[in-house]
Amino acid sequence: MGFIRSAFFDFSRNKGRTFLTSLGILIGVMAVVLLTAFGLGLRAYIEQQFEDLGSNLIRVVPGNPLEGGSFSNLGSYITIEFDEKDVQNLSRIRDVKIIVPVYSKTINMVAGNNKESSTIYASTEGIFTTLNVKAEYGRLFTDQEVDKRSKVIVIGPTLAADLFSSAKNAVGKSVKFEGQKYMVIGVTEKKGGGGFGGPDFDTFTYMPYKTAFTFNTEKTFMVIILQAKNDQDIKPVIKQVEEILSKRYEEEEFSVIQQEELLTAINSIFGVVNTVLVAIAAISLIVGGIGIMNIMYVTVTERIKEIGIRRALGARKSDILIQFLVASVILSLIGGIAGLTVSYIIVLFIQAYFPAYIDLNSVLLAIGVSSAIGIIFGVFPAKKAADLSPIDAIRYE
Amino acid sequence: MIQLTHVWKKYQIDDDVVFTALKDISLTIEKGEFSSLIGPSGSGKSTLMHIIGLLDKSSDGEVLIEGRNTAELSDDEISTLRNEFVGFVFQQFNLINKLTIKENILLPTTYARKKIEYDPGKKADEIMERFGILEKANSYPNRISGGQQQRVAIARALIMSPSLILADEPTGNLDTKTGDEIMKLLSQLNKEDNITVLIVTHEQDIAAKTKRKIQIVDGKIA
Repeated sequence: MGFIRSAFFDFSRNKGRTFLTSLGILIGVMAVVLLTAFGLGLRAYIEQQFEDLGSNLIRVVPGNPLEGGSFSNLGSYITIEFDEKDVQNLSRIRDVKIIVPVYSKTINMVAGNNKESSTIYASTEGIFTTLNVKAEYGRLFTDQEVDKRSKVIVIGPTLAADLFSSAKNAVGKSVKFEGQKYMVIGVTEKKGGGGFGGPDFDTFTYMPYKTAFTFNTEKTFMVIILQAKNDQDIKPVIKQVEEILSKRYEEEEFSVIQQEELLTAINSIFGVVNTVLVAIAAISLIVGGIGIMNIMYVTVTERIKEIGIRRALGARKSDILIQFLVASVILSLIGGIAGLTVSYIIVLFIQAYFPAYIDLNSVLLAIGVSSAIGIIFGVFPAKKAADLSPIDAIRYE
Repeated sequence: MIQLTHVWKKYQIDDDVVFTALKDISLTIEKGEFSSLIGPSGSGKSTLMHIIGLLDKSSDGEVLIEGRNTAELSDDEISTLRNEFVGFVFQQFNLINKLTIKENILLPTTYARKKIEYDPGKKADEIMERFGILEKANSYPNRISGGQQQRVAIARALIMSPSLILADEPTGNLDTKTGDEIMKLLSQLNKEDNITVLIVTHEQDIAAKTKRKIQIVDGKIA
């Protein structure tokens, strides 16, 4: 009968004590769950950013951005610049679906009285496929417009709204930058981003790269993006890119980066950092566990007489052991579930600013870990209770 | 039913001080007896009762319960015997205060290893009705009188249908009138239910109500 009810009876009689003991576990579980939630959120955010960029992508950039310590999208450590000849050479590689040269520049855009700064991506039609960009209003530019050097641009929704009161109004309007007038032919779909120093896609401007030659007078590119036809084509394509570029440049002057590799590298760094943080938080769980152990020893002492009575009525050692283990697991679980609840509320509030989330694994882990703590730290007091001599226990006053 | 041969109980009090509570006790209690262990306080009668009731172990000698040598039984087997064979009644009642009267009475059934043939709840109701405490079923021990508490304790001792009831000073905490009622109840259980009853007491009046008096003085049967 009611080991669980009996445990709750004791807890309700010692509310303050139960609360303080559970608080230790509550804080521990909360620390672990919240840090895991932040880690998961950050990871999901990064993965989302990469997914937005399309799959099977290979980027050819000058220098070595991974070693230079900068993950800037276009490689901030520029030693060489690519030109149309490189693009032509690389376009001969088989198994490349599209090749997208990109020139990028930050410009100030003027529309009527409004002035906004924006990052320009001057490229081919292919940039929309590789960056997974779609038009919300109007349309995207085509390769014919690239060849005709049409003065058309596609802008992000945030930029459009800043310049023309609403994104919808932007289509067909003209803007001015770098001394030329351009017509807005499309506004891209909202993509978000922008937090934590990442790029905000919604403020970008896309234009035909040949049109940009009016201010990109050297006719250079900061990055050439290649999309392999298939997963298994990536490695051979990278090899061929390296061979072709080696003929013009030194090996350390350029890097060929596989998108997935970059993601793996970032993920493993985050993985390590997050594991260390969670491990530190887990120490508080151990402290909480010691609190439970302490209280369970007190409880055993308070209930020696009861243990004696139960033994006299036929309870085995294992019955007493289980009774006290159940009590300590419940005590720990109260803390665990409360910790989970508090974490959930905090995450709900924080989600507006940070993509943190609690997954099912965290829930199961929190419940599993707090049960385990109840057992681990409850087993010694429970063993003490079970090993009491029945006659000494029943005589205890 | 119970056979003690040359039973000793010694306590190591200090490094070189040994207290001998029981000296060479040999005793047989037959099925259906209504007996008392009588002696002054400190005579060792309670210790003897604890050994018979398997709450304590002898230092030397044999204790046979229905022919089984208790020294050869495991702790679990001894727990099972305490559960099924013996019912304890204590001077201090020893009820668990956070459980209701009925829950206290049913407590031994929660530790039962054998399949209980009857409905424990129904049996508890019957016993409570017989003892006149049925209306207290959902009360708590500290809400009822001493006499009622001792009836609850006896009801708890009976719930597993034991062969033996061991009562340690069952009237010690009760006034004479209530004490007499409890004694009447125990005698009834012996007569009507054919349960072996052994009462530990220091009062001659109480012992006089039993059929056999076993006198203990200084740890020996006098």
